[in-house]
Formats: sequence, C-alpha cells, structure tokens
Amino acid sequence: MNKESNLKKYKNSFIEVFQIKEKELETLEYQSIPDWDSVGHMSLISALEEGFNIMMEMDDIVDFNSYKKGKELLLKYNIKF
Amino acid sequence: MQLKESLSNRKTAFVSGSNRGIGFSIIENLASQGCNIFAHSRKKNSVFEKKINFLSKNYNVKIKPIYFDLADTKKLKLEISSLIKSQIAFDILVNSAGVIHGGLFQMTKIDTIKHIFDINYFSMLEVTQLICKTMVRKKRGSIINIASVAGIDLHEGNCAYGTSKAAMIAFSKTLSFEMREHGIRVNVIAPSLTKTEMANSREAEKEKSFLTLDKNPLNRMALPMEISNVVSFLALDMSSFITGEVIRVDGGNRF
Repeated sequence: MNKESNLKKYKNSFIEVFQIKEKELETLEYQSIPDWDSVGHMSLISALEEGFNIMMEMDDIVDFNSYKKGKELLLKYNIKF
Repeated sequence: MQLKESLSNRKTAFVSGSNRGIGFSIIENLASQGCNIFAHSRKKNSVFEKKINFLSKNYNVKIKPIYFDLADTKKLKLEISSLIKSQIAFDILVNSAGVIHGGLFQMTKIDTIKHIFDINYFSMLEVTQLICKTMVRKKRGSIINIASVAGIDLHEGNCAYGTSKAAMIAFSKTLSFEMREHGIRVNVIAPSLTKTEMANSREAEKEKSFLTLDKNPLNRMALPMEISNVVSFLALDMSSFITGEVIRVDGGNRF
C-alpha cells in the first residue's frame, strides 16, 4: 500500500473513532480531547490494527500518545507515510 | 430455553485447555449450540482430534485444534496473533486451562507457586489481552473464566491453586468494568471438585482432603456437563445483562 493511502487510512481512523475534523489531527494528543481517553485509545488501536492488519506490541500501545507519535510507531510495522 | 436459536448466527469461540475434562465438555456444549470453535490443547493429540472431528460432524460446526504450551508465552502470542491476523473475530473466550495443586504453604516451594500462577493466571492474561482485541473491534463478546470455589473459600492447602484462582476472580471483576464500554461481558464460574481425570490426580487428592463431600448437600462431585451448561448460558445473549459475576457451581458447598 502506498504512503498516500496509508496516511488517508491513518487519518480516517482518528476521524471515525473520535468524530473530529482533519485540521485538528496534527496537534492531537492523548487526553487532549474527551473522546481520546483510555477507552477511546483502545478503540483507536483496534481501528488501526484492523485497518492495517497488524498486531501492535503492548509497549507501542502504551507509547502511542499523539497523532504524530503514532506515525513514528507504525513505521515499526512497515506502515510508511 | 431457546439456546440454539440464540447462537444460530454461528458465534466463534476460543476455549483453552479443551482436550479433556471440563474443557472438552465446554467445546461439546458450545458445539451443540452451533458455535464454531478454536479448541486449544497443550500437545498435538490424535484422540482429541478424532473426538473434535466427531463433534464437528455431529453438530455441523467447525472445530479447529490449536496447540501450544501456555507456559510458552512466545508461542502463545504467535499462535493467537496469527488467528487474529487472518481476520478471525472471536465472540466467546473461555479460559478453562489450568493446573491443580494442593499443599500447605510451609511445604510448597515458591517456584511451584510461580509455576501455578504462570499457567492459571499469567497465561490467561496473555490469551485474554490478545483475544479482547477482536472483541473490541466488534464491540461485543463474552469472556468466561473458569476459576474454582477454592479461589473463594481459600482454606488451608490453597496457597498456590486457590490464590491463583482468587487472582483470576479479582482480575475478571476489574476487566468487566474496563470492557463494559466495548460491549464485552466478563464472568467467572467457580466449580467445586468435578468428576474429571484432574480430580483423580495426586494433587487433587490433597485438595480433596480439604473439600469433603459431606459438606455438599447434593453429596457428590460435579459432572463436567454441569459446568459447561453454565458456560453456554454465559456465552449466550440470553445472559446479556450479566457481567462481573462469579457463579458458584458447587452443589451447595459451604465451608
């Protein structure tokens, strides 16, 4: 899958799970909006795992604390942006 | 009860420790309700495979054996992850695998207690953490942990087995709260001594010395089917308002 479609899928996961607008993504961090709480986090991870067909390590799930950090972490799973 | 109808949309279950005893009765019972099943056992076993092939044909469901040692975390993760990556979505998880132990604390090696916890508690956490992922995606699921009355009553001789089951019960209650937002129910069944091969083991004999049948109004051991019937009930949508519960299936045992 190319970088462009990966980015689209990545963004859509956030947009669908948290019901937010694309322009809010760049600065989005864990617990910066009410919906990105621990329950929302598991829904986000679930959407990303399903979307990219990966299984994230627990350390990565815990370290995934922002939209930007998530992109870095997904590189480990060969998801390039 | 319309059990079969409730499960007719082919729910998929993962059952650990299903090659004999309560575990096998659980797969038989779930198969009879129309569930497809991933049936875990520690070692490849041709008798087990023949038995599940029979169940599969008899009830017209798919039952696939999965082999790994629960003490081997790497293999456990590999096997379950590969199921999830192949888009298997689980509706039901039954953590039924376990090892028994009876002995006074002052006569039990700490390494023995660690081993019992590795199998009865930590491996159950590993399995649950992975399988929960697919349930979270589907926003539904039922997790049933097979504990023991030994994990509630906690008498002498229960420093390893009983405490590991007590940990399972405590964990299940916590998980029931964490999973409620995701539509996943978590319940525990606490059987008393059940008529299985495990109940005839040397370890169980020590356990029996603390669990006398004369304290049981029904005056007998439980049958595996009497446990698996409750598993099927908790697996079904019929029990949709039950979560965070510990159900004793013990013939009225009170100590």
